Amino acid sequence: GKVPASNILASAPSDKNLDAWRELGCRTTHCNLEVVHRSTLVFLATKPHILPGVLQEIRPAVGSHHIVVSLVAGVTIQTLQRLLPPWTKVLRIMPNLPCVVQAGAMVFSRGSNAGDEEAALLKSLLSSCGLCEEVPESYIDIHTGLSGSGVAYVYLFAEALAEGAVKMGMPGALASRIAAQTLLGAAKMLLETGEHPAKLRGDVCTPGGTTIYALHQLEKGALRATVMDAVEAATNRACDMAKD
Amino acid sequence: MSVGFIGAGQLAFALARGFTAAGILAAHKITASSPDTDLPTVSGLRKMGVNFTVSNKDTVKSSDVLFLAVKPPIIPFILEEVGPDIEARHIVVSCAAGVTISSIEKKLSTFCPTPKVIRCMTNTPVIVREGATVYATGTHADVEDGKLLEQLMASVGFCTEVEEDLIDAVTGLSGSGPAYAFTALDALADGGVKMGLPRRLAVRLGAQALLGAAKMLLESEQHPGQLKDNVCSPGGATIHALHFLESGGFRSLLINAVEASCIRTRELQHLADQEKISPAAIKKTLLDKVKLESPSLSVASASKVSLFTNKSKKN
Repeated sequence: GKVPASNILASAPSDKNLDAWRELGCRTTHCNLEVVHRSTLVFLATKPHILPGVLQEIRPAVGSHHIVVSLVAGVTIQTLQRLLPPWTKVLRIMPNLPCVVQAGAMVFSRGSNAGDEEAALLKSLLSSCGLCEEVPESYIDIHTGLSGSGVAYVYLFAEALAEGAVKMGMPGALASRIAAQTLLGAAKMLLETGEHPAKLRGDVCTPGGTTIYALHQLEKGALRATVMDAVEAATNRACDMAKD
Repeated sequence: MSVGFIGAGQLAFALARGFTAAGILAAHKITASSPDTDLPTVSGLRKMGVNFTVSNKDTVKSSDVLFLAVKPPIIPFILEEVGPDIEARHIVVSCAAGVTISSIEKKLSTFCPTPKVIRCMTNTPVIVREGATVYATGTHADVEDGKLLEQLMASVGFCTEVEEDLIDAVTGLSGSGPAYAFTALDALADGGVKMGLPRRLAVRLGAQALLGAAKMLLESEQHPGQLKDNVCSPGGATIHALHFLESGGFRSLLINAVEASCIRTRELQHLADQEKISPAAIKKTLLDKVKLESPSLSVASASKVSLFTNKSKKN
């Protein structure tokens, strides 16, 4: 409820996605320049290979009053500032999928002309979608590996949990719902108690009980190292892609 | 109070050294016995001023607290031998892994109606007064008897009372634990040497690192996971190293080790309860000596030896 839908204008070359926007009450157009002319805060949300063309297109209309926020993966602030007028206030943000349900994790960094006011504005706006923190730009690729892609790791884990339950005799749909709720509940406890995950883990482990037996299996499978490997791989890939 | 050790090996030596260093017991109040006088620990005990004898009976007679510090398969022989000399005043403390209180009480009850038995599991660092000891009291041991043992063992490290059914797990963790640590230290030192450190320095630093970390944990309210995080700067050396440990399944290896030691302890206990021990488990010299002293105790030439047959009842 931060911004009335009528104040939001979205552009795209075709109508394919624009219907969804219109349903929310937003205005739509096929003209990128129109968006720049009629908005102060402009989000760039194209695919990476499209962006340079779009920036060329809107460059003439970008003024010092604009705040340009790029959501485009792998495109650095340096690149953005190179392709836009030198006075442009640029910020770069990396969200993740659960922003859709207001439980996102986002990090952003500011360009040379973006000041405290712009950062505060962005943070306040985006906090409505979840956790939003300012970081040095070097953390953005790490955020991709941890949380951008991380959401997929969680889906994988949830699927595996449910499969284990199905193997043991539980119907799939029920198992999936319980798996998801388990993850949600555990995450909520982590965020709300502020306790170290190792402590919370220990609290669940009764001596000789079911949990410690299961954890032993996870350790045997080197789950921790595998997850670290995953975050590392995604982060490195993000870095490599940014260089292209 | 006088303390006796049946057995004059590593455990007796470590405890005697610890007690005397702690000042809780004078050396001349300690007696230790063993048929094998060639053990290196025997001369060590003598040097300490401990009374050494080859007669287990003498040890029993001159002690209030009697530690059974022999290997588990030997316990039944010892109980058979010294049983007649055990009086109501004695506190019999067994340190043998996997030997239950009930098996000891059963054996001694033929000689003494209400034997005071305490089962204890300690570890070798008692020698430097940093032992980890737990004990469980038997049917006829009073609260004061337990407290007396606790006082003795607390002088050489940490000591607490537990239920007997936890002792096998304690064996797996802190009984065997020093061996895991020595293995880790050896490997850490190797790592240091590989990266250029002289061996002695590598060993010294590795040991100090583990000592310091253990001390921090014991003195801190924090979870070890938190303490670990505190050492890991983002993108730094430590986190890179830890990733290797995780990849190698370091944690699961340690869990496996504790589990294996605990399970093996239970297996040995089970074997003992079935009263079937292979003679190979007992040193030949010991077996011969026992045969000499107790001619009524027959040793089957077959592969299994029955240890708990009560010859005094046979007529």
